Amino acid sequence: MPYWRWSVGPATDAILMHRFANPARFLKIARPLTGWLFWPGLLLLLSGAAVGLFVTPADYLQGQTVRILYIHVPAAWLGMGGWSGIAIAALMQLVWRHPLAAIAGRAIAAPGALFTAICLMTGSIWGRPTWGTWWEWDGRMTSMLVLFFLYLGYIALANASARQGQQGGVSNVTAIFGLVGAVNIPIINRSVVWWNSLHQGPSITLRGSSIDGSLLWPLGFTLLGFSLLFGAIVLMRMRAILAQNKVEARMQRLARG
Amino acid sequence: MMNQWAFVIAAYAVTLAGTALVSLMSWRGMRSAERRADQLSDRG
Amino acid sequence: MKAKHQRLILALAALVALVGAGLLAASALKDEAAYFYAPNDVKTKGVEPGKPIRLGGMVVRNSLKRAADGVTIHFDVTDGKATVPARFSGIAPDLFKEGGGVVAEGAFDAKGMFIATNLLAKHDERYMPRELEGMTYNETTHEMKAEK
Repeated sequence: MPYWRWSVGPATDAILMHRFANPARFLKIARPLTGWLFWPGLLLLLSGAAVGLFVTPADYLQGQTVRILYIHVPAAWLGMGGWSGIAIAALMQLVWRHPLAAIAGRAIAAPGALFTAICLMTGSIWGRPTWGTWWEWDGRMTSMLVLFFLYLGYIALANASARQGQQGGVSNVTAIFGLVGAVNIPIINRSVVWWNSLHQGPSITLRGSSIDGSLLWPLGFTLLGFSLLFGAIVLMRMRAILAQNKVEARMQRLARG
Repeated sequence: MMNQWAFVIAAYAVTLAGTALVSLMSWRGMRSAERRADQLSDRG
Repeated sequence: MKAKHQRLILALAALVALVGAGLLAASALKDEAAYFYAPNDVKTKGVEPGKPIRLGGMVVRNSLKRAADGVTIHFDVTDGKATVPARFSGIAPDLFKEGGGVVAEGAFDAKGMFIATNLLAKHDERYMPRELEGMTYNETTHEMKAEK
């Protein structure tokens, strides 16, 4: 295949890339999408949580505490997924100079940190009755705590760069930090396989699930529900930053004019 | 076993409170910022 | 080559190098970062008596014995390759049982008995309702079969 067939052509590429870089175009999609993600997400996660609390059977070994699974797993997924989003946004910011990517990175940080904290807290609450401890420095728990501290560092860097006139987005240094921190994501994932750990191995793998179907199904509801809600929260935060940019740009023009 | 339910309820309470808080704060931040931006454009 | 492509290659190369270095460092830490010793680690590497460690494995079925004082328990810990005797005085967690996982904190005495000061229960990745308990679990297919 000749090289010019690889892409639609530099001009079209640029248009495709910058179609969503244009804040007005982005907002046209983001405004209706916020509600479309938020309400179904809320409904799904509440119904999943209700089923997980009152309908599914107790575990043969753990009893009732297994119900923490339905919120602990989505929180872990969003904590790790959030940082993956930060890393992807960082790549788009550094390579394509995509203006919305810098804003997306900053919008993801706070909810990502929150769900990482929720994962740590629900895990701790779950660990006490099952393992007999609130906290142990095993590979999974330690790497998840590192993720939480990475979020705090990212938020501090992002706030510092936002003050230095980055148009509401994060600086390139912050983006590089986001990219570097992504190393921790596969480490979290593999921590229970590489190292002897108190945390059990993965239940859901490519080969299937070792969670019985009667216990598993509400997890799909809460996973999808929390994910949609997370998307809505990120959109809200991006819209807030874009609106602030608009106000600040106007203020500067007034001051000059 | 009542004791087990205490742990379950604590975990769900932490999660729902955190989720509600971040949703509410993000929504209010967005609404106030967009309102200010709209007021600017109304004045032309 | 356009600047955009240069940045892309640079960023991807940096990312690959970073992730590679991170994973390499992490797997090099394999032994250091291990949360506990398995009985076979104890056998092959040797752990000096009195050194505080964690010992993890399965509690051998029918090995659990309660001493006359009512608080001391004796049990064997195995990882399928080696088995170590252990002793513990105190309250064990609810999930601590024969055939289940355990992580014991403590040290070996001179005779090779593990004196635990604290017990943690470790469970595996299986979750199922009580009705399915007692069925055999196939590790590779994740299927449950009724025991004959």
